[in-house]
Amino acid sequence: MPDLTPFLVTGFALGAIYALAGLGIVVLYRATGELNFAFGALAAASAMVTWQAHEWGLHIWLACFVGIVTATLISAAYGALVSAKVAHRTDVIKAVATLGLALIILGLAYWIWGDSPRRLRLPLRALNTELFGVRVTGARVVAIGFCLVAAIGITALLTKTRMGLQMRALADTRDLSALIGIDVERVTLLAWVGSGVLAGVAGILLGTLVRLDPGVLTFMVVPSLAAAILGGLRSLWLTLLGGLAIGMLEAVATPFQTIAPYRSLAPFIVAIAVLMVLPAAAFRSERAS
Amino acid sequence: MKIYFATFALIAPIAVVAAMVPTVGLADGHAAPAVCGTGEAATGEPIRIGAIVGQTGPADFSSAAKSAAAVFACVNANGGIDGRPIEYLIEDDAWNPENAANAAAKLVTDQGVVAMAGSTSFVECGTNAGFYKDNGVGVIAGVGVPRECFFSENIAPMNMGPRLSTLGAAIDAYENNGARSFVCMAPNIPNVGGWFCEGLAAWGADKGVTVANVLHDPATLDPTSLVLQAMSSDPDAILVAEPAPAAIPIFNAAEDQDLLDEALWLGPTSIYDTAFPDAVGDYWDGAVRAHIEFNALDSDGEDNQAWLSIMESHGQSGDPLDSFSQAGYLSAKAILGVLRDIDGDITRDAVLAGLKSMTPMQSDLLCGEWAFGEGARHNANQSGRIATVKDGAWEVTRECFRSDDPELADIAQ
Repeated sequence: MPDLTPFLVTGFALGAIYALAGLGIVVLYRATGELNFAFGALAAASAMVTWQAHEWGLHIWLACFVGIVTATLISAAYGALVSAKVAHRTDVIKAVATLGLALIILGLAYWIWGDSPRRLRLPLRALNTELFGVRVTGARVVAIGFCLVAAIGITALLTKTRMGLQMRALADTRDLSALIGIDVERVTLLAWVGSGVLAGVAGILLGTLVRLDPGVLTFMVVPSLAAAILGGLRSLWLTLLGGLAIGMLEAVATPFQTIAPYRSLAPFIVAIAVLMVLPAAAFRSERAS
Repeated sequence: MKIYFATFALIAPIAVVAAMVPTVGLADGHAAPAVCGTGEAATGEPIRIGAIVGQTGPADFSSAAKSAAAVFACVNANGGIDGRPIEYLIEDDAWNPENAANAAAKLVTDQGVVAMAGSTSFVECGTNAGFYKDNGVGVIAGVGVPRECFFSENIAPMNMGPRLSTLGAAIDAYENNGARSFVCMAPNIPNVGGWFCEGLAAWGADKGVTVANVLHDPATLDPTSLVLQAMSSDPDAILVAEPAPAAIPIFNAAEDQDLLDEALWLGPTSIYDTAFPDAVGDYWDGAVRAHIEFNALDSDGEDNQAWLSIMESHGQSGDPLDSFSQAGYLSAKAILGVLRDIDGDITRDAVLAGLKSMTPMQSDLLCGEWAFGEGARHNANQSGRIATVKDGAWEVTRECFRSDDPELADIAQ
């Protein structure tokens, strides 16, 4: 039996980014009822713009800011221009619309940047640490920390603030929310802005830790969606745990030769297993309950 | 990865770059390189040559066809083939076997190409090898990657192939550094990654060499685990048999774990990319070695300089200047030699016969001679060089040597 500890350590950080992306998907779903397949593409846009801005001479942190703002603006623009137009369509149509956004961003990113080898490095060496014989880079520490902060912050936003209450009301019943005076478009826009910020941060972290490639980053949405499903598209903390579990499961499969080549199936296996085991009621939206 | 491929195909129109290549002379007024010939711009009946490339998809594999197009443009501007211009038809298979089959049918059946040259695709060889044989079409693949490109009667790749290139990197470490234990990291794609790594095991079987494979899903998002897995067998050398964009995260992860001195870090030609040294950073200066299947991109040889000159004068803005591009130049040069040697009508049969009986081509881009050959399969390019990352660039640190793969036993050197 190989020593799995190093793989658990590396998988934990990767899982934190899955979880962060899952949180971004869940918070938008809870606020607007829209499943955002474009989350990974927004992350890719952020990472690529960050790299480009840094290449053009901007300080790396300023470049990160530009990248996050880019993802946020795209997300906000979609929220304002498209999301509002499809608000009364079925959930499937709304989800497919975000897939369209993802493909547009992906196509543009490849058109602009191609697939040349490049990398994004954040100056976080001071945060490097060692755990169970594995070097944990500063970027991984930040990923884990930001994920926890995001989960706490979003929970507080949704449960303790008036805006959070409005978001939940909006997700439940859009028309009734409008009737009781909630500025539906404003709340929707803010949800897309928040999701865009999370996508921007996740993209930079994933681009640093994994691979600065528009396609790879865009399809990061797959394990993130699995994490969100583990949270029933509702629970932020279960999404967090789901993301971490997927990341660690994927990593610990590495030393087992027979299953290692298939370890990227981990998100699907976990998601399917949970869907089969948990009662359907656990996945009903608040709207239904 | 399949999702990735399939989804990308949705947004990637099946681009058809069918071009009657331009017929203009060298912009600076200098004489064209010898491969272009001499004479007035060709105006006769076009000779159609095709190519299938994986342009849109996970990676752009159109570089070889782009350089071949530049060579043909130069030829057309300088007399063509006895006054007949080359009409070079490039189809994009978008890494999709169905597209590859459609593209071959279009080029061979509808357009009536006399041969293919400069093709580079992950899926084309396996999909179309039988079709080419049935239709008597000779194919000079610019760059062959999967096993099928080297095990087909009518397809002869210009390059050594990733199996021989990966092996070449290992042989260098074995001979010069005493490496005896290797880890081979490669994508787990049928007839690709496993085939590369099996070459090491076959070569090392009687040399006391041990090889551990780390085959992985190309879509994996966790390079650190791959690196930790590679290090778990405490190898003397690690071969990163990946395309350069996929290799970067592995080198980054190794840097994060400070593994530079724990093993030799090697790769095949696929990491020999001009952007690679800058992308991996100073940490790897002097430490990463790549086996290269053609000469250095800045070498002074006649063909390399001709390639650069033609790309300058007849290439398109943004065409890459990489090893694949060199392969495309050589593919064009080889097919041009055959076309010029044909007495009588230039037909598909005449071209295939000419390919099989061609005088072996010599070039400073190659370590040995290259010929299509008569055999049931082809792998004429068997020797390469070693380049090392130094001062933000690649530097050739070992000249030509052969990758002695036991699998080549049925092919003459």
